[in-house]
Amino acid sequence: MPAATVGQTPSLTTFLKSLKTSSVESSIELLASLLKRRQIKNSRQCALATAQLLRRVVGAERIKDPQKLIDRIRDVGRRLVAAQPREMAVGNIVRRVLGVVREVVEEQLGDDGSGSSGPSTPTSPTSRAPKRPMISHTFSSFTPLSHGAAMPYDMHPRPGTPGSSSPSGVDRLADATAAARRPGLATSASYASIAPTNASLLSFLEHPLGRSPGATPPATSSPRMTPVQSSMELNKEKIDIKAEVIDGIKDLLDELEVVDSQIAESALDHIHSNETILTHTSSQTVQKFLATAARKRKFTVIHAEAYPNDHEATHATILNGGKKSTGDDDEVDDRWKPLTALGITVIMIPDTAVFALMSRINKVILAPHTVLANGSLLAAAGASTIALAAQAHRVPVVVLSGVYKLSPVYPFDTQELIEYGDPGKVVPFEEGEFMDKVDVVNPVYDWVDAELVSLYVTNLGGCAPSFLYRIVADHYRMEDVDLGAKSG
Amino acid sequence: MSETTPDHDPPRVNEQKLTPAELKKRAKAEKQARRAAQKDQKPEEEGPPPAAEPANGINGESKTPQKNSSAPQQQQQQQQKPKAEKQQKAQQQKPGKQGAQEAEPHHKRTGSQQMPLRRRPSQSGAQPKAPVKTKKDNKQVELFSHLYTQPRRHTIEGVSKDVHPAVLALGFQISSYEICGSSARCVAMLLAFKEAIQEYTTPVGTSLARHLTSHYLSPQIDFLKSCRPISESMGNAIRWLKKLIVEIDPSTPEQEAKDELCERIDTFIRERITVTDQAIAASACQQIKNGSVVLTYAKSSIVEKTILEAHAKGTQFRVIVVDSRPLLEGKRQATTLMHAGLEVEYVPFSGIPHAVKHATVVLLGAHSMLSNGCLQSRIGTAAVAMHATKRDIPVIVCCESVKFSGKVALDSIVLNEVAPAEELLLPSKPTPSRPAPKDSSEDEAEAKPKTLEDWKDIPHLQLLNLMYDVTPAEYVRMVICEYGSLPPSSVPVVHRLANEGM
Repeated sequence: MPAATVGQTPSLTTFLKSLKTSSVESSIELLASLLKRRQIKNSRQCALATAQLLRRVVGAERIKDPQKLIDRIRDVGRRLVAAQPREMAVGNIVRRVLGVVREVVEEQLGDDGSGSSGPSTPTSPTSRAPKRPMISHTFSSFTPLSHGAAMPYDMHPRPGTPGSSSPSGVDRLADATAAARRPGLATSASYASIAPTNASLLSFLEHPLGRSPGATPPATSSPRMTPVQSSMELNKEKIDIKAEVIDGIKDLLDELEVVDSQIAESALDHIHSNETILTHTSSQTVQKFLATAARKRKFTVIHAEAYPNDHEATHATILNGGKKSTGDDDEVDDRWKPLTALGITVIMIPDTAVFALMSRINKVILAPHTVLANGSLLAAAGASTIALAAQAHRVPVVVLSGVYKLSPVYPFDTQELIEYGDPGKVVPFEEGEFMDKVDVVNPVYDWVDAELVSLYVTNLGGCAPSFLYRIVADHYRMEDVDLGAKSG
Repeated sequence: MSETTPDHDPPRVNEQKLTPAELKKRAKAEKQARRAAQKDQKPEEEGPPPAAEPANGINGESKTPQKNSSAPQQQQQQQQKPKAEKQQKAQQQKPGKQGAQEAEPHHKRTGSQQMPLRRRPSQSGAQPKAPVKTKKDNKQVELFSHLYTQPRRHTIEGVSKDVHPAVLALGFQISSYEICGSSARCVAMLLAFKEAIQEYTTPVGTSLARHLTSHYLSPQIDFLKSCRPISESMGNAIRWLKKLIVEIDPSTPEQEAKDELCERIDTFIRERITVTDQAIAASACQQIKNGSVVLTYAKSSIVEKTILEAHAKGTQFRVIVVDSRPLLEGKRQATTLMHAGLEVEYVPFSGIPHAVKHATVVLLGAHSMLSNGCLQSRIGTAAVAMHATKRDIPVIVCCESVKFSGKVALDSIVLNEVAPAEELLLPSKPTPSRPAPKDSSEDEAEAKPKTLEDWKDIPHLQLLNLMYDVTPAEYVRMVICEYGSLPPSSVPVVHRLANEGM
């Protein structure tokens, strides 16, 4: 591997440093190996690393054809996802970047269609914001059709119906989802945990060339634009696309940075005075959320320590507040005071006491590792005990999650999603005979069913678990949704 | 009242020199002084002055000397009397008091001392106490304030001399978890009591039946309580023993009575615990079949016995032991089972969802079975039972009837035991040492990171280390005791039969 890691434990910091100097290919290799070796872990770090890498990848690419760029990103994404399939944030960011590329391409064509190619740069930062609501209201026309996890992702556009009218568009969607279901299952043989409908998305990650170039959004359709000069202006687009995609990735990075503050903004809507809140493991998001509420209100926090995997981080969080686990982070130096310094009583308990105390707890606040498309989530081990105990005592469970943790993966086999960690954390390897004869198991994550979650608070606001699929759709299926809906 | 002074107040002896007018004048000044003093006092605290007033009123005439000492400072400032007079007055006090001792023993000095005394505790005396208290409270979780009785005793200091050495030793074994578990503690206690009883001699003028319990056993029990709150089984055994002692015929010779008691204790241990355990194990191991996966939590001697018996019978099965910090009792159990040649899987508490996925039956030990069918057991048991119930895996509790209790509980908060929070601190043992170096390198970068050892110095931080939790009856499918297998709803019946009907 690259020698960028001399003298330092490889981590996100070293990776980001080496990213500036080493070549694209070796950076990709480095990130893949860091992911494999779990030297970059946790959703946030994975997301950051992936976004930075993709920025570099896009920056180094000579873009002749947008499709080539998409293929390239997909290819990189596939390698990273293969390196650590359980860090879903990686895949999420890759999808988001792909979405950015598609959007930019569309935008470009739209702008060209409307007249000038000049204002492309100014439109890009704003483009994402206005786009989202538009998508969601076009979405609403077919929500009745999309039940549960079967989302209307038209990944296999029918060549015959590009210009159909609204009702037929809906029909087409229904068809498409139905059609997507079976091939989805087939493709998910290698990716068993992926929903049929979502599998189609991943399948294009896996088989980038499986999709005909004609299916790219810019070429096929966009009702707002008249697809006349799509290929003529390619040369002109080349630079603009690159700049815009990089801008888009920067937006994504910005989002990763502000996501906690955005979530924390709604803290006062959820925490009232004098309540008792249970939380688990160390999460920057949760700590910031509670700290924001602590400025105005007094409450009690009961903190379960998440032994044996995260208890040290938890202790550090309780005692010292925010310090990035990577130590000296050059980019985001996230420091914040521990809650106790804000006058909040923090009671640290071992995980075992969760059930005993649950009857006196007003709210449970969890931080997920990944949120899945159906509203269930993966979180640090112990979360499912907490969620179940909360349900038994009718205590609401609030999950704080940035959108970047939202994954379009559907949990068919929850067992497969769970990672098993170092048994040495449970029983030290010094105890040879015990380790030899006894099977020591240390799951790192827990899967928590959607029905145990009362509320998700994302950086876009609060929503019920049943609504998550739409947020997923907003973020990962834009151009595909557009394809289906644009006819209307 | 001033006119009473000359004729009534006995200090005549040395006050003779003062004219009535002078006395009057002085009395006035003193009165002023007293008022001033009271005024000063008032803003600080309003309670005592009204309280002092009636006291004065009762004493009536005797006020004069009282005032004298109560506010000497103001008096000196306000009085414009010659120094000589003052000295006289000062002198007058002491002899006056002495002289008055016989005449009016109750007034002045007593009163005058009370005043400042009363003032001080309320002003300064309370203040140093308060911060200490709040600081201490800070570290106690308010919800469980009723459970923080006294810190566990680990030293011999201040132990009543009556405590028998065997009980002393047992106490420290219990407080250090060397003897841990409800039945083990009960048996050990009875054995220690046996020794203690043998060395007991009834003092003259009383009988064994009347004296033994209240004067000899009580200090032993109190000592054990101070080491660790006693368990339900110990409570039941003590109740049984007390009843037994009371029923002893006073005419029985002492040695005979003591032998009788010891024999009965042996029988109790044998009948209620040893043989019972065998019976329960024999009954419970029928629940383990070929191919079963038995899930158990922490350590229970009776569950261990059941599993070993099933293994000895040749049943092929697997055991999953779930364990928790800080006691890590499950590890000992897993080690025992491992040595017995069983296939054991060891899972930390966070891995329960994984463990219940494979389990076919959950065997649990009990600290106590409560009369409303709830199970009180090592903290974390409820979570295991909950997970198992959610997956429709039968939860079976093995419990001797001596652990059945007449108490009821709805939550784990009222009935519980708080263990020292220090147990939660990570020991400097190999387990955390791996991440520790990483931590410490990080810590160098940070200015001064605190470790959990500093928790007492961090305001608003509390550590809570509970011992037990209460598993709702609906999570318990069956209770196996020596009377057979019952639903949890039958617990009170057995309790009455076994612990009260005797």
